Order: sequence, then structure tokens, then C-alpha cells
Amino acid sequence: MKKRIISFCLSLVGPAVLIVLLTMPIGPLAGGLGIIQPIGGIFDVGFGARNPAAQTVKLPGLTAQVDVIIDQWGIPHIYGDTAEDAYMALGYLHAKDRLFQMVLQNYLASGRISEIVGSRGVSSDKFYRTIGLARSAQNTLDWCIAHQANPDIAYSLSVVDAEVQGVNAFIDSMSSAMTPIEFKILGFTPVHWTRLDIFIWSEMMAWGLSGGFEDFYRQWVRETIDNDTMYDELFPDVMPFDVPIVPEQTNLSLATYPDAPGGKPATPNPEGLVSQTMVDKAIIPNEKLDALMAVIEDVIRPFEEEMLGSNNWAVSGLRSATGEPILANDPHLGLQAPSLWYEAHIVVPGEIDVTGVTLPGLPGVILGHTAHIAWGFTNVGADVLDVFVEQLNPANSSTYMYNGQYRAFQVVDETIRVKGGSDVPFDVKISVHGPLIDSVVDTYGLDSDTGSNIAMNWTGSDVSTALLAISKLNRANDLQGYYDALYWWDSPPQNIIYADDAGNIAITVCGRFPIRSGYTGEYPVTALNDSIGMVSNIPYALIPRSVNPSQGYLQSANQKSIDFGSYGFKLLGPFDDGYRGRRIDHLLATNNNVTVDDMKQYQADSLEVRAEEIVPYVTYAWVSAGDVNTSIEQAVNWLDDWDYVMDTDIVAPTFWMYLRDAIHYEILDEVRSIDSALPLSRTPIIEKIIKDNNAYYLDDHTTNGTVETRNQILVRALHRALNDMIGDFGNDPANWVYGVHHRVFVDHLADFTYIGGGPHRGQNTLNAAGGWRVTHGPSWRMVADLSNIQMSYGVIPAGQSGNLFSPHWDDLFDLWYAFDEATQQYGYNLLYFYNTAEAFRAADTTNTMIERTVTFVP
Amino acid sequence: MRKIDDIFPSLKLVPAIIIATIFAIVLELSGSWVTMLIAGILGSLFTRTSKRAFLVGFVGVAIAWTLLFAYLSFSASALEIADFFIGLLGLSGMGILVIVISVLLGALLGGFGGLLGRNAVQLIDEALHEPAKESAPQQQTT
Repeated sequence: MKKRIISFCLSLVGPAVLIVLLTMPIGPLAGGLGIIQPIGGIFDVGFGARNPAAQTVKLPGLTAQVDVIIDQWGIPHIYGDTAEDAYMALGYLHAKDRLFQMVLQNYLASGRISEIVGSRGVSSDKFYRTIGLARSAQNTLDWCIAHQANPDIAYSLSVVDAEVQGVNAFIDSMSSAMTPIEFKILGFTPVHWTRLDIFIWSEMMAWGLSGGFEDFYRQWVRETIDNDTMYDELFPDVMPFDVPIVPEQTNLSLATYPDAPGGKPATPNPEGLVSQTMVDKAIIPNEKLDALMAVIEDVIRPFEEEMLGSNNWAVSGLRSATGEPILANDPHLGLQAPSLWYEAHIVVPGEIDVTGVTLPGLPGVILGHTAHIAWGFTNVGADVLDVFVEQLNPANSSTYMYNGQYRAFQVVDETIRVKGGSDVPFDVKISVHGPLIDSVVDTYGLDSDTGSNIAMNWTGSDVSTALLAISKLNRANDLQGYYDALYWWDSPPQNIIYADDAGNIAITVCGRFPIRSGYTGEYPVTALNDSIGMVSNIPYALIPRSVNPSQGYLQSANQKSIDFGSYGFKLLGPFDDGYRGRRIDHLLATNNNVTVDDMKQYQADSLEVRAEEIVPYVTYAWVSAGDVNTSIEQAVNWLDDWDYVMDTDIVAPTFWMYLRDAIHYEILDEVRSIDSALPLSRTPIIEKIIKDNNAYYLDDHTTNGTVETRNQILVRALHRALNDMIGDFGNDPANWVYGVHHRVFVDHLADFTYIGGGPHRGQNTLNAAGGWRVTHGPSWRMVADLSNIQMSYGVIPAGQSGNLFSPHWDDLFDLWYAFDEATQQYGYNLLYFYNTAEAFRAADTTNTMIERTVTFVP
Repeated sequence: MRKIDDIFPSLKLVPAIIIATIFAIVLELSGSWVTMLIAGILGSLFTRTSKRAFLVGFVGVAIAWTLLFAYLSFSASALEIADFFIGLLGLSGMGILVIVISVLLGALLGGFGGLLGRNAVQLIDEALHEPAKESAPQQQTT
């Protein structure tokens, strides 16, 4: 018997070891090896990628049946009897196709990513807890609830609730086959979606597009250079040569729209309100500044735009071949898989007929068109975040001076839960200006004299009504509807272009723009009383806006909003370099017969205006020098033969990349000799120095007793560029071809895989593709034809499905990426726009447009 | 009360493996790999030695999972999913290895389940049917 007992006990060892092995997290595989079983693990998702041709889904809470046609690209066309029913179906489909993305992004935004990825997420969580997107979202939700007597706000809340219900209906019915593989690998089980989640993601959009800490950057550069004249010349917010977005200002009635966007307080005449006495800049110690900038640099920002920005433009009937407006938009954001956007078409008879892109988890089409109007966004890039250095009480660092007395900081407990670890206690202090962002830097707050004291005052921290604007825009059908909808668009500031089938075009530089008193907003300051700060806002009626300008077209590419010399208010930059704006302005100004195909070609346009403007000076310098050097001669030949298009099969674009850097380096010895970490200004400034033949900057001040000319400096740049290129890529000319190194990667959100990897055209061009490893670019391309709205196009750089094994994981990327040399266009999907399911079915005579149907029933 | 081994006949190896395979397929449909221990235990009921019990569980589950993977490869992109998974570990293009490892782990579960089952049966049978033999010497020593 004893032997039997021992044998039995020994036979338990094997199963026990296996159970531990199969459940134990291994690196990123927090779900353990057990997930590689045939059924119930990762292999189930193969079934989830397949859908029946006709499916009926029970959706509790519906008032009537909702018919959904899924088109050949996996794009849903939702036909409901009420808005709530339609958005409930949208919520379900968002979750079905993108639940992992929704959860990951929301946990990131709310500072809870550690609950998914463990201790690796703590520093990110501290940052997002500090800036307080979740707190702002809660404030917005509370405000909406308090103001739901307003029918527009009540409507917005009702569609928010519908979206939440739809998402939760999917979560409740989620089988193993439908569970995203990422959850299985990470060992995470999603919980119910809430109203707050919707507003959190909206806040993240605002943060990503308007939440930069430009004040730190400006202070660091200015203090490091320590030469105000040089700083002002080399680092202005507004670039030379650019074409403003607003050609002719159109004001609306202050009586109709008395407030700032979002109903915020406004002042049409700020002179009396604003203190003309400017407080001194508050100098933050370099050590602290470096630590803060390092933390900020490290944080993931899903909406981050690099300096590449976005494009939108529209022509009126004056310039279109159809006699009606055509509108184009391609917002440049981080390329990600699944895509940031989710295409959808929503129809509620007599109320909604809107198509375009939604953000998974948000109830509404952010960019797109209705039956009569189309619109698109680019980021304004305005600085709406100021840094205030609070004056701490020397006797008690938990209080600060304001309006003549020491006040206690509000302290919020933001304890961070960590998967597989213990909770991390974390407090956020908040002053009258906002949260103290230096609480994210561990080295501070340890002694009472150097406690956290850098407050962030960001317009986006306030209640935001952007979702209300979207819900109104989705139901707008004319210019008045556009005006009324945008009245609620407060954050993030966007250049919102518009066109309609009545022949109107318009653009509004829309958002809440603060009026500052006693400081410029460019640098950190100490504000000891309420006369210094953001004291009011520019009224909505007077924000930069142009409606039906005489030139017959409008365009924006993140450049300066308006000619500030003639505009009564100040908008703080930094604005884009302006090359894309210059290019599209040229293309539209020289074409009186614009077609949809032209618009598609413009979106694919890869001509480098920087090179077009600067290279002729370089080749002239070489010819003038009369030097003999076969290698440089060959490089100059590349440039001479080049049409400035950043094509993938030639060397000239590669050489241009090196030449541009070399020109910056050779000209700005004045900057690099101070600190090699300093940026060497921006290319429009360099272009101006070259064109103006600015003797001061062109001279190399490191060569004593010699004064260099422009030609000498540009020839030196040629040598440097060639040496650097060969240094990086070797002597084999085949390795100098642009497409060998300039490649596009659409990385998976959790870095599990990527889409693409192939050669890619463009750079800082209309077809935005910056850097060598292209990870930012057009996140959505749309061309809307207002003469026949059914012939409008769009495309996203991935696919509709978040399931890696679905045919719709990357099928739209194939369209987005494929450049047709013959037509000079990228691919698009036609935005099928039928206002009834029956009409859609009837139109599908070839049985290629409709992939499947889903019927949602109560 | 009859012994467990009197209830379940001792089968030859192949029939016992087939029984374990059927149990493994049915139980795996529940989506829980732990049930492979049960498949092994059930297979072991038709054996009489520990070695044979391990073999029946091991081979039975291996066959079951191989069949399931064969089905999944045709119907649910199993090889593609395996390639993706192994790619996470930096071993792109070796997806088949995931399936091999999976089958091996399943087989071990079945094998150890068989071993556990056989030892449990022997312990229970002996404990229930030979109590006197075991207790008598103990009484003598006191």
C-alpha cells in the first residue's frame, strides 16, 4: 500500500509540472503556453476571421431590426430606424472588429496600461494619470449629464449610450473564436465598456493633436543659444514663404455666436482685458528640464503627428471640371495596425446618412461626407498648452503662492494597479493652473525645498464638446449646419474644410484659442495672480475662417492659419514648414479644370519643394566653382537629371536627404558650435538664408580670418553629403537607390507584427512619408465629389478588421500602398453610398460589392 | 464492490489508444487543455501497467491533437497562426514548430494523465479490497 501511495504521489509530479509550465507567463506571452492548444487557444481566431454570408445577431435594447451590409472591403453600411439603434450596431461592430485596439488605447489614455502589460507600463501610466485625461473625461461626462436638457446634448448622450450598449453586447457574447488573439497572448480579459470610456478616447484625440510641451523646447533652445537675436531669426514659429490657410477672412455674426467654440467665454476686444505688462520667463533648471523632456519623449502618443502634418483642400465650381466642388483630405498620423480609423456608413431615414471614418469606440463619423456636404481635418498645431512654474512656500512645499496667499495643492490619489505586481502609490498635485507634471519625474519631490511645482495649463483639460460637434456635423446638410456644428468644436484645434452640393466651399481654423494676459505663452512663467494667464478666448464668430474665396479654392497643410499682420488676434505656433501648403497652392492655382483624378494625383504628389527651391543654388555653386572631382560631378548629374520627385528607383532622392542635412550643417556653424544637440533650424529658414545670400550665416565663423561665400558653403555641403551617404550605405551604387532604404511599415499596436515593409515614395511631400523607416503618413485618403457624391473615394492604410488572420486585416493597405505609374495615383475604395439596403443590393449586379449581411434583432 | 480493473477490460494497445484519442478529441472541444489529463486517465482504465498507461495517454492525445491541427490547417489558418506566434519569439517561418510543441505538450498531458490514472486505480483498488493485509501488521506492532 505504501508503495502504491508513493507511486501515486510521484505520478502527480508530471501533471503538476505541466500545469505550471502551461500557465506560467513566458516573456510577452502572459497567457502561458496553454494557449497553443488546438481548441480554446490562439488557433480559434482562425474561425473568428471567417463570417457567414448572412448572420442574425440578437442585440438587447434595439427598438427595431437593424440591417447591415458588409461590403467587399469589410466596411459596414448600417441601416437603422433610429440613431440609437444604428449606433448600437456600430458599437457592436467596432468591438467585433477592433476590441483589442479599443481596450489598449483606452487603458493607455486613462493611465491603466500596467493592468494589461504589467510593470513596463508604470511610467506611461504615471504620465497619463498626471495629465489627467480620465479626469477631464469625467468632467466632460458630468457636464453633459448636467446639461442634458439641451436636446443636442441629450442626443449625444443617447448615441454614446447606444455605442456602449453595442460594445458590451459583443463582449457579453464573445466566444473564444471571437476573442482577439492579443488578449489570449497577454492573458487579459476585457471588461464592460462605459460612458466614460467614450470620453476618455475623445480626450486622447485632443491630447495627441494639441498637447505638446513646446514651452520646454523653446526655453531649452533659447537658453542654450543665449542669443535672442539669433534665436528669433532661426527659430520663429511662423516660417517664411508659406501661404496662409485663410486667403480672405469671413466673420460670422457675434449676435448668433457670441461665445468661443464649445460655449467657452470669449472676448471680441481683448485690449481692455489683457495686461500689457509681461512677466519674466521662469527658468526651469536644465537638469529638471532634461528629465521632463526625456519622460515626455518616451510616452506613447497614438495620435502623434510629426512635423509632417496633414492635408486638406477643396475647389469650388469655379475651378472644377464638374462645376461643383471637390474636396480632398489626408490626415497624416502614426500608421498603425489595426488602423486608427474604421470606415462606416450610417443611415437613419430622414435623420442621418453619413459615411467616412470613425474612431473605434466613438459614436460618429469624424471625417467623411453626408448626402450633401463633405468635410476633412488637418491639425492647426497651435500652442494651447502653457507651463506655469508655481512659487512654492519655502516652509511648506505642498502650498504655493497665488493672489497674495499660499494655497494648498489639490492632491488626487492615482494609485496604479499593476498586473502581476503590487499597486504603485501615486499622487498628482493640482494647482489653479492645472496638474503638476513634474510629479512624473522620480528625482523630484524628495526634499521639501524642491517639490513639484510645474503646472500644465492646457485648454484640452477643460470640458470638451467635440463629440457634440461631430454628432451635429454627421446630420448637417448645408453651410449653416456646418457653422452650427463647428460652434461646438473646441478641442483639439483643427482646420476643418468643407464643401457642399450647393456650390459652397469653406475652411474654419476651429477650436478654442486662448487670449493670454501678461505673458506670451511661449515660455514657462510664474503667475502669482489671476491677471496673468488664459483670461478669455477668441470668439467663434471671429476665428480664422474663409467661405467661398474669390480664388476658388482653399487648402491647409498645417501652415500658418492667416496673415497675422491683418488679423486682430494672436495664434501661437509653431506652424508647419509650409512646403506642402506651397505645393498644393501652386497645383490648385494653376488648374482651372480640376477633376477627381487630379485630386487623387495631388494626394500622391511626391515632389520635394525643398529640393526644388534649394538644389538649383547647389548645382550653380558647383558649376561656378569649376572644381574637378568625378564623384561630385556624378552627384551633381543626379541632381541635374532629377525632377524633384521622391521616386523609389533612383539615387537622387537619397542624395538629397544627405544634402539637406549637410546644407543645414555647413550653414549653421553658429548653432552647432554652441551645442551639438541643438536643432539646426528648419529648412525654410535655410532656404531664406540661401536666397537672401545672408552673409552672416553663410560665413563659417569657425574658420578664423576667412569669409566663406554661399557657393563655397554649398560645395562643401556637396562633399559632406556624398561622404556621409557613402559612409552609411557603402560604395555600391545599387545601395544608394532611394527605395532600398525608404520603406513603409505599419506596425501592430502591440508590436506583434507589421504590414508593408516595401519601398515607398515621398518624403516631406504632399504624399507624406518622412524619414527612412516610414511609420507616419496619410491615415485616411478621401476625395469627395460633390457633383455626384456616390463617386467619392476613401482608403485607410491597413484594413477594417483587427483580426490578423482576416482577409480584411490588410486588404485596404494594398490599395493604399499600390502606386499606379500610369495614372500617378494610389488606390482607393469607392465609398458605396446607398440610402437603403434594398438600393445597395439592387446596385450589386455583379455580386462583387456585397460580401455579407448582418441582421441585428431586438 | 468490484475492483475498477474488473469493470474495465484490459485492451490491446491499439484499441486503448483509439479510445484515448476519441476521449481527447471530445474533451478538447471544451477548449481546456487540462482535460487531456482526463483523456489520459480514461485511456489508462483499459491498461494494466504504468508504462502502457503512459503510452496510451501520450499517443492517444498526440493523435487527437494532430488530427485537430490537420483540420484547423484546412479550415482555420492554423499554420498561419502558428507562424505568427513563433514570430513573436523571433523564429519567423517555423510555425510548424509551434504545432509540434503543442502536440508534444498535449501528449505529455495525456501520458502523465494515463500514469496518474493507472496509479490512482491501483491505489483505490488496493485500498478498497485489501484493507486487512495492510492493517494487520500495524496492529501487531502496537
